[in-house]
Amino acid sequence: MTRLRKEQAVGLLMVLPALLLLAVFFLYPLANSFWMSFHKWPLFGKPKWVGLDNYIFMFQDERFWESLKFTFVYTLTVTPMLFIVAMGTALLCNAKAWGTTFFRSIYFLPVVMSFATASYVWLWLYSEMYGVIIYALEYFGFGGEKKNLNVWKTGTSSMWAVNAMVTWKFSGIQMIILIAGLQAIRDDFYEASKLMGASRWQTIWHVTLPLLRPSIALALILSIAGSIQAYEQFVIMTRGGPSNSTKTLVMHTVDMGFDYFKLGPAASLGVIIMIILFVLTVIQLRLFRKNY
Amino acid sequence: MKRYSSDWYWYYVINYTLVIIIIFPIYWTLISSFKKPNELITSEPTFYPREITLQYYDQIWNFDRQKRLQDTEAEDIDSYLPDGDGIKKPFLNSAIVSVGTIVFTVIVCTLGAYALTILNTPFKNFIFLLMILPILIPGISLIIPLYKLMREIGLTDSHLGLILLHSTAMLPLGIFMMRNAFNSIPNSLREVAMLEGSSELKIITTVMLPLAIPGLLTVMVFAMYISWNDYILAFLFVNSPENLMLNIALMKVALGGSQFEMKWGSLTSGSIISFIPIIIFYTFLQQYFVRGVTGSAVKE
Repeated sequence: MTRLRKEQAVGLLMVLPALLLLAVFFLYPLANSFWMSFHKWPLFGKPKWVGLDNYIFMFQDERFWESLKFTFVYTLTVTPMLFIVAMGTALLCNAKAWGTTFFRSIYFLPVVMSFATASYVWLWLYSEMYGVIIYALEYFGFGGEKKNLNVWKTGTSSMWAVNAMVTWKFSGIQMIILIAGLQAIRDDFYEASKLMGASRWQTIWHVTLPLLRPSIALALILSIAGSIQAYEQFVIMTRGGPSNSTKTLVMHTVDMGFDYFKLGPAASLGVIIMIILFVLTVIQLRLFRKNY
Repeated sequence: MKRYSSDWYWYYVINYTLVIIIIFPIYWTLISSFKKPNELITSEPTFYPREITLQYYDQIWNFDRQKRLQDTEAEDIDSYLPDGDGIKKPFLNSAIVSVGTIVFTVIVCTLGAYALTILNTPFKNFIFLLMILPILIPGISLIIPLYKLMREIGLTDSHLGLILLHSTAMLPLGIFMMRNAFNSIPNSLREVAMLEGSSELKIITTVMLPLAIPGLLTVMVFAMYISWNDYILAFLFVNSPENLMLNIALMKVALGGSQFEMKWGSLTSGSIISFIPIIIFYTFLQQYFVRGVTGSAVKE
């Protein structure tokens, strides 16, 4: 009995650092974000209870709706791009062929580069007049006679430029998830479909994709959740411009809190982002559970 | 399986094309960083540097604004590096925070996972669920209360603050990975060590950790990855020049500089420098990166 007691005490002592870290830097801010979102935060003096005022203020702010809309447009455009590249490379790497390990490690390589560095690299590729992508685009006749192509001129072209970078940078993560799913499919399925005379595309469409559904769902949800948190790529590459047309939800939150010092509305924005992501992750876990 | 050789021909054509597309941005940045100014900024790009120079590496690493001000005419100073010095200090700062995060994460997660797996810790299932709760609520939605907290406990503008935040971000994956690793170790090993009178700490270091090295390496690789890649926390919580982190220092180069060749030469060489530590990790520990990705996606 005393030995068990001692073991319990030692156990608690060992888990204490992790618990403290979690409590101070996660649980407390989590509770506080709700509390802050219901209070007014003057620069000096005590916070005052204002009920839902912060939420009302935020919902009446046009910039909130613009950033929400842009975040969704970005999510809906970048997710298919990521998925198509990831699916293609996953199928290529899953073939029984020489060199797949090499190809896989190259396709995964951009993932390990830090997001900020990847943004700087692509900033140079897109750089006005001297960027190699701009040079190539102009060579193929984009940008007209004057050769003054600038991808950052409009919000739409900026977004597609960032989408291309994000696809390059992150499709490797989804590829790995899809490969893990592909490897879990037993060979009998392929052999059966071959015996029935299915073509390669028929096999992919009728055998691989249905069996891969849980991994596909997981990859999609991960990319959606990641895109809703988009921040670095736009802060570095477009700075939200031109004229705030590429401002994401997180950028809007940071502006609210750190530029305008409106901590209450900023906290309520955090709560909204939290709710969106929470719902998405619950769906993710559901989908995953159901299929395994 | 019967295959036709033309299939394989196309298989490799597609794969190598993709390899070239994926490598190209990195290759282009690498050669740009070695080009001489007149070759860097030109309307006729070259696909390998005709002449190699290290001047941008020297500049981005060593640039000293004060010294430059004394040396040259003050009027052109702003066309060089806009806000201060080279990235030697920020690089060291980022290295300190990354190493700190790795060490701290390994200690906290090993102890925590050991208590939650091997020992009869009270409420251990509940505590484990708490530990992986952050998967459901990404930290980015907590930046406002986090900032307030860091201000109140005086951890803004400090490396310790970043180390603690990065380690907290690593908790779910770290505990999860170490728990899996410990779970696969037979309990009899621990019992033998206990009969010999070893303490729990000694059992961890001499019996458990040597058998949990794959899990341990995954945790270390990901701690480094999270810490080295962090942008938003480093940007919002650290602002004095002497504590600046690498990603933010490069941002200052990207933002300013009216002289194109100075700006892009510095930014490309700075990007390569920032990529070097992580590419070394990737070359030697690639499988643990992959393991971490599947692990963090399939938690539970």
